[in-house]
Amino acid sequence: MLNVIDYVPGDTLLHRLNPVTKLALAAAIIIATFLSDTYAALVGLLAFTLLLAVYAGVFGRLARLLKLLVPVALIMLVLQLIFVRSGETLFAFVTDAGLVTGGKACLRLLGVALPLVLMLMVTKLNDLANACVEQLHLPYKYAFTFTTALRFVPVFSQEMNAIIEAQTARGVAYDTNNPFKKMKLMLPLCVPLLISSVSKTDATALAAEQRGFYLRTRASSYKRYPIVGRDVVTLVVCVALIALGFVL
Amino acid sequence: MAAIIEMESVSFSYGSEAEHALDDISLRVEAGDFVGVIGPSGAGKSTLAACLSGAIPHHFTGELFGATRIDGTDTCEVTLTDIARIVGSVNQDIDAQMVASIVEDELLFGLENFGVDHADIERVMSEALDAVGIADLRHREIATLSGGQKQKVAIAAILALAPRVLVLDEPTAALDPVSSRMVFDILRELNRTKKITVIVIEQKVALLSEYCSRMLVMNAGRLELEGTPHEVFAHGDRLRAIGVDSPRTVRISNSLARDGLAVPTEPCLNVEEAYRLIRDTLSTVPGIGERAADEPEPSPHVPARPHAEGAEPVLTLRDVGFTYPNGGASVQDLSMTVYPGELVGIVGQNGAGKTTLTKLLNGLLRPSQGAVRIAGLDTRDTPVSTIAAHVATLFQNPDRQICKNTVLDEVAFGLELTGVDPSAARERARRVIKRFGLPATEAPFSLSRGQRQMVALAGVVVMEPDIVVLDEPTSGLDYRECMTVMETVRDMAEHGSAVVMVCHDMEVVSDFAERIVVMADGRILGRGPASDLFADRDLMARSSVTPPQVIDLAQRLAHDVSPAFSHITEVSDIVRTVKELMGRA
Repeated sequence: MLNVIDYVPGDTLLHRLNPVTKLALAAAIIIATFLSDTYAALVGLLAFTLLLAVYAGVFGRLARLLKLLVPVALIMLVLQLIFVRSGETLFAFVTDAGLVTGGKACLRLLGVALPLVLMLMVTKLNDLANACVEQLHLPYKYAFTFTTALRFVPVFSQEMNAIIEAQTARGVAYDTNNPFKKMKLMLPLCVPLLISSVSKTDATALAAEQRGFYLRTRASSYKRYPIVGRDVVTLVVCVALIALGFVL
Repeated sequence: MAAIIEMESVSFSYGSEAEHALDDISLRVEAGDFVGVIGPSGAGKSTLAACLSGAIPHHFTGELFGATRIDGTDTCEVTLTDIARIVGSVNQDIDAQMVASIVEDELLFGLENFGVDHADIERVMSEALDAVGIADLRHREIATLSGGQKQKVAIAAILALAPRVLVLDEPTAALDPVSSRMVFDILRELNRTKKITVIVIEQKVALLSEYCSRMLVMNAGRLELEGTPHEVFAHGDRLRAIGVDSPRTVRISNSLARDGLAVPTEPCLNVEEAYRLIRDTLSTVPGIGERAADEPEPSPHVPARPHAEGAEPVLTLRDVGFTYPNGGASVQDLSMTVYPGELVGIVGQNGAGKTTLTKLLNGLLRPSQGAVRIAGLDTRDTPVSTIAAHVATLFQNPDRQICKNTVLDEVAFGLELTGVDPSAARERARRVIKRFGLPATEAPFSLSRGQRQMVALAGVVVMEPDIVVLDEPTSGLDYRECMTVMETVRDMAEHGSAVVMVCHDMEVVSDFAERIVVMADGRILGRGPASDLFADRDLMARSSVTPPQVIDLAQRLAHDVSPAFSHITEVSDIVRTVKELMGRA
């Protein structure tokens, strides 16, 4: 299984932006998505995110995530349709107001999930951590915790896959179609996974300390992450996006 | 020369109740030494490494007595970070060692932290990458690298910090023979050119003995023996008593010396030394070496198991191909037949497709071409849970297999899954547990690594399967544990199970497998009797497999000294043949 948040190398403007600026851009799109309440704005923001992805050459990767998210969004739509009872009934239990709010909820879900993932795809985790330490004065401890957590996601999912394979080979019927049954079969596996994760994190902590983790300061990073012209322009765009969200 | 590391009566236990993991250890390591540490599991090797790297007393808690001085300073009086300026350490788990996701960042991390002048960083970094030969990997993501490459990255990251001592805890545990040798070549180079003191803990004794200048043998927390590899291996019997393997060539030379056949000099650490010893010993025998055999004598008949006579094959692969959807090692044209009671070894480099083959056997993967038939079932239209009743797999890492709270539940679990009545399953499980001498009511995760492997093996034995698939069954085990596992497996084969085993340790393969399948690049290059294929130099070279020492030696002796040596696969036969030839004189 490939990881959706893996870094995709590239040399586009989006790649070259300061990681903090990228974070701000993602945040701005998300805030605007929450604030705006018209279809035009929601669709526009989503389209903007997707266009950025196309520009940065990661659309294919993002589309894979989209494939996972669309069913979730559709479930959300159905729930909204069931629970929103105001408005005129169109057919069966579907009301027009339900359709409108449900559709918006769908778009919001996608609009909130995608920008942050997009930013992570075009940013190396270390750059993100170092830039946050340098520009946002975030203590390195927290930055390291965050990046390590993200880095461990694929490591643990590999471990989980290996465990599931071993159990399948013993005859545990994970190929069942019943999700509850599958859940029940998966639960006992948490024990081996937990044990291996705890020992792995402990080993990582030791390895980091043996390489001078506690000596690190804001000035340690070899690479510098200055805010330059293109970042300022992008930050202005961010403010504009949020303002747009307010208005629409 | 000054000692860079000194330990003075050091004892350590991981808690006041626990036994001493280290018991009154005193040792000196001179600057520039290349020290190898061997010993059975539980001997305290990793604890020793933790003491040397400062992880004890600074990371692990427990009771520590005595003094460890690094470059003259007691490790208790300085911080772990200060110790790390002198001692760089590489741990067992390569993945957990990494702190970044890109190779370059991994190297930068330590350099930045220790405040290396930013003007020098570029130079230091490229030197470290060049020293281990991975300059081309600089911008790669660590997650996409192979085990050997990751290990090199870990060494480069430590090397960049210019440590004076390198402490490595089983750096090659997860690597194939070729990558293992590469790691040791790098260590030797660093030791020679940069004068870095190297201390390495290792299970692969034959490999280690070629590289290190001094060896420490540990047993039950104590230092049992120390000296040069030649000195240490002269005590072959004592090593065997504590559960440490000796290289096969050492066993040969020690036996010859004991029987008074060869001049008792130093033990032979490699094939070359053993070859010279036997050649020189036999040089007085008339007629030897003059008419060297160009054509080796025909193979003596390999003792076949009763299977071959008219038995139905239990496993057949016909032109099997498999390709992973998103790349990865694909396999093509795999055909093989295995009969009940056979023990077949699969050998080849990492990435040759061995693991893919095992997954095709236990149904985890379905062939995209051809067919796999197991006990009459086509894997393509049989659910994995049904196949599991016929095929039992022992994985490399027992922790992935174990999921129950007691050993008894764990061993009975597989049987229950295949629909055996729970009380009957427990009864059968109890019998197997008793035979293995395991504690039935203990939690498996509280046992040692070797015992956990035995629990996993018990779970396989209890199934009484038609086919047993073993994926690196001996990695991470010490010599004694390895022999217990393999003897159990052989016992299963004698009771009619077919065994298919993937293994990197060619000595184990040659001891136990009667047939081998040689793989490279997803294809089968050869299959047949183990002794014939191992003696096929061309085949071994094409598949990058190092033949077992005894077969290599026998072949060279057969060619240059006497045809009587051809097709010998065991230490005792070499000794016996030398004896016979001497008798002729």
